Amino acid sequence: MKIGLACPYTWDVPGGVQVHVRDLAEALLAAGHEVSVITPVDDEQTLPSYAVDAGRALPVPYNGSVARLLMGPVSAARVRRWLRERDFDVLHVHEPSAPSVSLLACMLADGPIVATFHTANPRSRFLTAAQGALQPSFEKLRARIAVSEAARRTLVEHLGADAILIPNGVAVQHFVDAQPLPGYDDGRPTVAFLGRIDEPRKGLDVLLAAMPALAARIDDARLLVAGPGDAAAVRARLEPELRSRVDLLGLVSDADKPRVFASGQVYCAPNTGQESFGIVLLEAMAAGTAVVASDIDAFRRVLDDGRAGRLFDVGDPAQLAATLADVLTDPAGAAGLVRRGREVVETYDWRTIAERIVGVYEMISGDRRVSLAST
Amino acid sequence: MTVLVVVVALVVAIATYLTWLARRLDRLAARVSDAGGGLVTQLVARADAAAQLAERCGLDELAASAARARVSYPALLAGAPLDAAVELAENALSRALRSAEVAAAGQRFPIELHAVDSGAARVALARQFHNDAVRDQRALAGRRVVRVLHLSGRRSPPGYFEIDDALPVREEPWPRLVEGSAYGADISGRDNPAREDRPGRDGSLGHGDRPGLAS
Repeated sequence: MKIGLACPYTWDVPGGVQVHVRDLAEALLAAGHEVSVITPVDDEQTLPSYAVDAGRALPVPYNGSVARLLMGPVSAARVRRWLRERDFDVLHVHEPSAPSVSLLACMLADGPIVATFHTANPRSRFLTAAQGALQPSFEKLRARIAVSEAARRTLVEHLGADAILIPNGVAVQHFVDAQPLPGYDDGRPTVAFLGRIDEPRKGLDVLLAAMPALAARIDDARLLVAGPGDAAAVRARLEPELRSRVDLLGLVSDADKPRVFASGQVYCAPNTGQESFGIVLLEAMAAGTAVVASDIDAFRRVLDDGRAGRLFDVGDPAQLAATLADVLTDPAGAAGLVRRGREVVETYDWRTIAERIVGVYEMISGDRRVSLAST
Repeated sequence: MTVLVVVVALVVAIATYLTWLARRLDRLAARVSDAGGGLVTQLVARADAAAQLAERCGLDELAASAARARVSYPALLAGAPLDAAVELAENALSRALRSAEVAAAGQRFPIELHAVDSGAARVALARQFHNDAVRDQRALAGRRVVRVLHLSGRRSPPGYFEIDDALPVREEPWPRLVEGSAYGADISGRDNPAREDRPGRDGSLGHGDRPGLAS
């Protein structure tokens, strides 16, 4: 199929939607489809060959953060040309409620259009206020996809329309062959943690509190912590005898993330707050690392009720220490978790997810192609 | 002179607005019609898969429901409306597909069963696309200016297609890809025969979370 993807946010600024569009585009290309992405970008050099520049987005302060918008006549002309020249079977716009390229494409095109909604924002004043203005564009959407239950609920509440739930995928191939970081390939029992270190909901404190008990059972156990935050403050809180077994790496690059997982025999997610989805667990599972996570709904689901990773009671360091020790001292059991984990990950593999999205394309495309709307 | 300019500008503005509304109505009518066509395609595919399973396993009740549903397809494919008689026949097929005999037969013919299940999931999706389109069209067609000026022309308002398309509960392979969604089944059409026996799962796939739609 010839598929046009519209990404509303600046390509070379990190963000979940951009990553989603990139991974989807690459999965579709790998499956043999023709794909073109149109997106705002600051530095055109960063665009991959399948993407087209829609112009520079304008940063506008909004709701306490900076939203980057793109709605000018130059971009409109570029989107129009893109639609005219490419002759797509399907146009797939991402987050069309943002005043940017996706909404422009939606306004300018006609025919088989699919939208994916990413944001979960239960009380969006913008959406409420803009609903009337968005309706003429949104009534062109032949199918709506939401990436999470929360995003779907937001859509139902604000726009009165249901959506198909297709979760974010995991770019499994980036994780499968990951090698341990230098210094972590010696087989020493290692627990890996990834996440903001000064965000209490991520639960690093629970894990640190479990370390003495773990060290008592496993003499040479160590903890590898990767993620941004005030490392000095965390180090200052550590018991002196723990300092030698806790390595604080700070922020790691995307390229090193798989290596962090591969550096541990166990990946630990001690989160204390409700997470909507456990994508990081899936990444660890894809890297072939056994997972130990707190027993919250999202994690229990991803871990197949404990079959693809061990669960412990939220915020219970003693139980966490015992669970970690069990996994670290039982290679056969850990291998079982890893095996099940790989099966679970496969269903979230971008290749699988992209196939499901193509299923939606096929259902709405029929014999009509994407055309320019007569306005 | 000024009055004339204002009047002309006003007339142009009103005419532009009305033309724009009429275009939106046309576009929505096309979307409803495409969605209706897509729905018929999926109904046909589901009935075909059901008939095939019925034949393979000698399930008379399923064969009868599939045959009953198929009677109306030539007319539907020629553009006949999806009316109450179609809804009744499709309801009967949905129920037959949820019967215990079908589940039992599926143990022996997992590939055929999977074809039926993914066909049923696609019907649920196509129906959603159709009813969404109908809802959007009715919303615009119901606006006072559209009704008073007959902008919809002689088009009769499209009807919703209401059937019970709740998906059968199956012991499914891990994992449910989609949580809490009515449209959770695998619509990729891939064969996925790995069904292992997994008691204890709630199998809530596609049940009861669409208030007001399943009847």
